Amino acid sequence: MDNDLAVDVRKRHPGGPEIAAALRLPLDKHALMVLFGPSGAGKTTVLRLIAGLDTPDAGSIQCGDEVWYDGARGIRLAPQERRVGYLSQDYAIFPHLTVRANVAYGARGWAVQGLLARFELSELADRYPRQLSGGQQQRVALARALAAQPRLLLLDEPLSALDAPTRLRMRGDLRQLLAGVQIPAILVTHDRNEALALGDSIAIMIDGKLRQAGAVDSVFDSPADADVAEAVGIETICPARVVSRSAGLVTVEIAGVRLVAVDIAGESADVFACIRAESVTIERNASGNATSARNRLAARIVSVIPEGPLARVTLDCGFRLTAIVTRQSGEEMGLREGEQVTAVVKATSIRIVPRG
Amino acid sequence: MEWQALWLSLRLSFWTTLILLAIGLPAAYWLTFSPRRWKFLVEAVVALPLVLPPTVLGFYILLAIGPHSPAGRLYAALTGGMLPFSFQGLLVASVLYSLPFAVQPFTSGFAAMDRKLIEASWCLGVSRGATFFRVIVPLSIPSIVTGMILSFAHTLGEFGVVLMVGGNLAGITRTVSISIFDDVQSLDYAAAMHTSLLLLGISFLVLAATYGLRRRVRAVWPPYGQ
Repeated sequence: MDNDLAVDVRKRHPGGPEIAAALRLPLDKHALMVLFGPSGAGKTTVLRLIAGLDTPDAGSIQCGDEVWYDGARGIRLAPQERRVGYLSQDYAIFPHLTVRANVAYGARGWAVQGLLARFELSELADRYPRQLSGGQQQRVALARALAAQPRLLLLDEPLSALDAPTRLRMRGDLRQLLAGVQIPAILVTHDRNEALALGDSIAIMIDGKLRQAGAVDSVFDSPADADVAEAVGIETICPARVVSRSAGLVTVEIAGVRLVAVDIAGESADVFACIRAESVTIERNASGNATSARNRLAARIVSVIPEGPLARVTLDCGFRLTAIVTRQSGEEMGLREGEQVTAVVKATSIRIVPRG
Repeated sequence: MEWQALWLSLRLSFWTTLILLAIGLPAAYWLTFSPRRWKFLVEAVVALPLVLPPTVLGFYILLAIGPHSPAGRLYAALTGGMLPFSFQGLLVASVLYSLPFAVQPFTSGFAAMDRKLIEASWCLGVSRGATFFRVIVPLSIPSIVTGMILSFAHTLGEFGVVLMVGGNLAGITRTVSISIFDDVQSLDYAAAMHTSLLLLGISFLVLAATYGLRRRVRAVWPPYGQ
């Protein structure tokens, strides 16, 4: 038997969309898979189905050679029998127990003292949960889950309950802690930066369906369709028509403007062109010719919105194109609303996906 | 002053409360967490003693535990005794009569629990039974104490059901409220006054203790998230 967590389940909550997810997570490589998607996509439901807290309508869940759920054969293991460490969004620490008693609650063996030390909780061992900060509560929840020696960790938006500065710090800590414990994990998030920082692989969920899975970089750079492109935060997604194809390159037309891109959409004539804001550069002088590798587009600046050290520039080049520049370079170039500039996009930075 | 009647009432209330704790907690757990659609019917049955006249309830209980009923015959076969007009019969009636006073506070306490805590316990490998005693009960202490006190106080003051099922046998079924009724019937207002005052005092103390205790318990176990 292979040593994977293999999930293929369907579940419909009354009044909700049908959740359908098929995913596979290797158990021996203690990898972290991010389950990513907008709120309400069904990510939490998938975790609850794997943990055994909800029962699928059909399908199967197999962990290594153990069958946890099989609709056809009528097998359904209770959560207690699955040995899954499940962290709900608000941590669900027992309010009537001290930190030590919380960590010891489901402990197997004598790991409690060591876990308290490892999670920097020794000093807090006799405190009650209401005396802890959000970050400390998260460490208690994680230590408590690990004390039960789970085969698999399920983390539901583990950072969302924290305030912004703590979230940034805990993101780093969490990565280190998870790398240290050598237990495979599935982490649910709708935060792109969290997914990039924590995930080894990623599965994208939209409207209850698992749409694309793979290595984090490849999914973020090469979304399979426009919905996934939008979910992973690609700013510009425009319907386009294929004009010609040759030598692995495709020329598409968007609102009368021609763009050259690397061709991966296959046969379809109707496509979407997806362009990340980071890969658009802005030049002041409107000179120069378009080459096969570079698209140079005459553009008018619609708006410049500062975002911390960066600025988001919306351009009108026949279609709306979003670019990100550092605020400094934006000021140096004197980017202002209504000005004419040149937008430059490499052919390799335009992702063409089929439409319809 | 009927010390014997008072002692009987206190014993009856004590045992009734204890039995209600034993059957009320699982009943409340089932009512709170069962996915069954028809559980509202059970809820209605549990709440019946709140609205039924005690004479009606007492009459049915008398029939149900009578020597010719299955329950009466079983009891006779086991113990050789009879349930009507005995302390044990009174106990059965009291338990049924005070059932909603225990089950409803228990149920509302369980229903107010954060389900995620229960699920966290299950995922940590702790069985449903152990989760009940390690998470649900400790976090529902205020509601459980309330239910017990209400059962105790309600049993202490019951009259109609006792009269129907137990009659008026000194030391066996004559509870304190019946002795007050007896005193008034025989125009012994002084004795009725003493006993009534005592019952009023005990009831007030019990309720005052409950509310005081609940406040302290809250201070120790604040509702989760506060």
